[in-house]
Amino acid sequence: MNAASTPAIEVAGLVKRFGAVTALDGLDLRVERGQVMGFLGPNGSGKSTTIRILLGIARADAGSARLLGGDPWREAVDLHRRIAYVPGDVNLWPNLTGGQAIDILSRLRGGIDRARRDALVERFDLDPTKKARTYSKGNRQKVALVAALASDAELLILDEPTSGLDPLMEGVFTDTVRELTHQGRSVLLSSHIFAEVEKLCDSVTIIRAGRTVEAGTLADLRHLHRTSVSVVLPGGAGTLAERTDLHDLSVDGERVTFTVDDAELGGVLADLAARSPRSLVSTPPSLEELFLRHYGVELPASESADQTVSAS
Amino acid sequence: MSVLAPTRPTSATPGHAAPVAAFTAFPDLTRFILRRNWLRLAIWTIVLVGMVAMVYESQRVAFPTQESRDAYAAVANTPAVAALTGLPYGAGTLGGILNIKIWMTLAVSIGFASIFLLTRNGRAEEENGRTELIRAGAVGHHAYSLANQLVVGGLSVAIGLLIGVTCIGLGLPAEGSLAMGASIAGVGIAFLGIAALAGQLTSTSRAANSLASIVLGVSYLVRAIADVQAEGDTPSPLSWASPIGWAQNMRSFGENTWWPLLLLVGLGIGGCLVAGVIESRRDVGAGVLPDRPGPARASRSLATTLGLAVRLERGPMIGWLVGGMVGGAFYGGVASAMSDLLDSGNAFAQAFMGQADSVLDGIVGLFVMATAMVAGAFAVQSATSVRLEEASGRLEPQLAGAVSRTRWALTHYLVAAVWGTVILVASGLVFGLSFAATQSDPDQVLRILGASTAYIPSLLVLMGVAVLLTGWLPRQAVLITWIVYGASVIIAMFGPLFSLSDEFIDATPLAATPRVPGVEFDALPLIVLSLVALALWILGLARFRARDLTQA
Repeated sequence: MNAASTPAIEVAGLVKRFGAVTALDGLDLRVERGQVMGFLGPNGSGKSTTIRILLGIARADAGSARLLGGDPWREAVDLHRRIAYVPGDVNLWPNLTGGQAIDILSRLRGGIDRARRDALVERFDLDPTKKARTYSKGNRQKVALVAALASDAELLILDEPTSGLDPLMEGVFTDTVRELTHQGRSVLLSSHIFAEVEKLCDSVTIIRAGRTVEAGTLADLRHLHRTSVSVVLPGGAGTLAERTDLHDLSVDGERVTFTVDDAELGGVLADLAARSPRSLVSTPPSLEELFLRHYGVELPASESADQTVSAS
Repeated sequence: MSVLAPTRPTSATPGHAAPVAAFTAFPDLTRFILRRNWLRLAIWTIVLVGMVAMVYESQRVAFPTQESRDAYAAVANTPAVAALTGLPYGAGTLGGILNIKIWMTLAVSIGFASIFLLTRNGRAEEENGRTELIRAGAVGHHAYSLANQLVVGGLSVAIGLLIGVTCIGLGLPAEGSLAMGASIAGVGIAFLGIAALAGQLTSTSRAANSLASIVLGVSYLVRAIADVQAEGDTPSPLSWASPIGWAQNMRSFGENTWWPLLLLVGLGIGGCLVAGVIESRRDVGAGVLPDRPGPARASRSLATTLGLAVRLERGPMIGWLVGGMVGGAFYGGVASAMSDLLDSGNAFAQAFMGQADSVLDGIVGLFVMATAMVAGAFAVQSATSVRLEEASGRLEPQLAGAVSRTRWALTHYLVAAVWGTVILVASGLVFGLSFAATQSDPDQVLRILGASTAYIPSLLVLMGVAVLLTGWLPRQAVLITWIVYGASVIIAMFGPLFSLSDEFIDATPLAATPRVPGVEFDALPLIVLSLVALALWILGLARFRARDLTQA
């Protein structure tokens, strides 16, 4: 089918200015059908602005944005029947109940699966008969989550959806989204919780200052980066310090840690094997490390380690 | 760096240009707005239509015979009446009398109803981020705004029709009855258009309400000037510069001219259309003017409870002060001109004059009370900010600092009281100066300044209502405080017209203060008011200190 071939989200060169401030500066983002895309970036980097443009409630100044193959501004109504949205800061009508709010929001996007709604209310442990004014932030968040997750939307746009949820509820959220992705739904998940993104997403897009700085599958991204190795060598670091392909080297008696580019890993391991290591742990870079690296934040410890190496 | 860089499509919007589905979900949203607002809509309708029936009944009793009405008609056209309630005409008929007594109150009230309701469902929702949630549904760009406008416009139409039907039911001429209802509905619809525009231009509900209310206030003033400058019962052409003036020129129970209704409805629809055009060009949540960057640091003074309270109220403080002083200058300029035209033997005028011996003193006393109403409006608005800070959740983090609750609340209330007094004194001073200039009598400055200062206890009582309710009935505090303020104003101004007893009128906060210089100064009411204020403040603050904080 043609619908399946168009990406769920296709954003290219998006620019958005607020007065003198440029919020988006040529942002690119692509989410394929059935893909779960993590959307990462520090506060103020333009994630919510991108989402607002995709929802057709803000207009881009330049560039193109396509949502399920359609124009998010012109075809907002038709597209919104096929998507569901959860904002990170849910504000509800104080004198309506949570259940009423769920139904209103669902009705506005075109109906809801009643059984599924009730099941989700149960799963999220939400009391739908309470007035929204009495809800905590987490409970308000649950209202928007139930309305979105109970829908039959092809694409879920989630903007920090679990902010305010307890870890138990975060687990319920993760499970529910997994079920939906097994049904082939697409998800754009903006989040600061790396564990959540690593659990749910096949791919991530990292943005900074309104620009895409990295996009790809988690596996690809990890591959591009250094693996950290921690090894116990009876003879200490020795001549290891002379190797130029080791980074962030630090030596603590017999324990030696460093990072190494994946391409050099084979040669380094052969060298290590010759030194009869007692134990060796190699860890691929975590999403957190990938993320921090893009913001130019190096851990202070590794900086000092670099200096040690160059000094020796 | 991108591993999976998206390919850039050659054309931003390829192929078809589907028409924008602007009004999808309109019926659902209309139902939703009705459900959220039915109580408010019902109260506005019952109060406004009920007032017509009540006032009609009191006037029928007051002027039972044609002779009594003819006698009234001979003296009805006075500048004070013209300035406050509109140029009288047809005063020899019950319909004409009804018009004089209630029409302006209805017109101004329905204007405020349109403004407040439209903003509540429009800009306020957007400011709170709920519009974003709604617009993420399958909802047309304009569906929510249109639903809001139709519900609020529907209120005007319903009130207009009910007023017409009520008047016919009371036995008044059918065409005049319908013209009266239509002219009231027209004012509501016209200010609906103005409120719709204000909601697009500003980015906060407070600013939207203020902007539209200023337009309403200016419309009232412009037509007041036009009506005072009337020749006979024809207003000056300036009357056509005000939407309220257009509606007055329909002259219900007089000539029953229908075409100005087109102007009113045109302004309403035109305003909504322009608002729609702006809405389709801007982002949700944004106003037309972008926010300017502010200071990166708080000054030392801002980081105190007092400094913050003053900063948060800065806009209203300046606005109400300027408003009060402009009003004072206006009153001082027109007072003697009005009294020259006024017949002191007129019983109706006497009602307005508050038992003053001289017409001029009566008018001055009335105007001094008007400056007190402006100062009171500021004090009440500022006092309710205590509840609004609490309801919005902004109070909790403040109290989490080393600030006591009582001290925090008292600081806010004292800012309101002190600045209310400043407004009172400043507008009294300007009034006195401009009046002294027209009279060439420098003694008038202190006389009027003293008369306006006498309203300080009234101010404290009006605020006391807010203090008491914020303590005991936090959820309803803001609404009831304004109702009490509005009722105090209406009773003090028009109490005698509603055939209320003097004892009752004098027991209300504003009317209790002696209308110096119209009457002898009497300290007793001021002492009683001060004691009542003290009791309200103590009871309210004690409860505020003891109860749980509750958010909206």
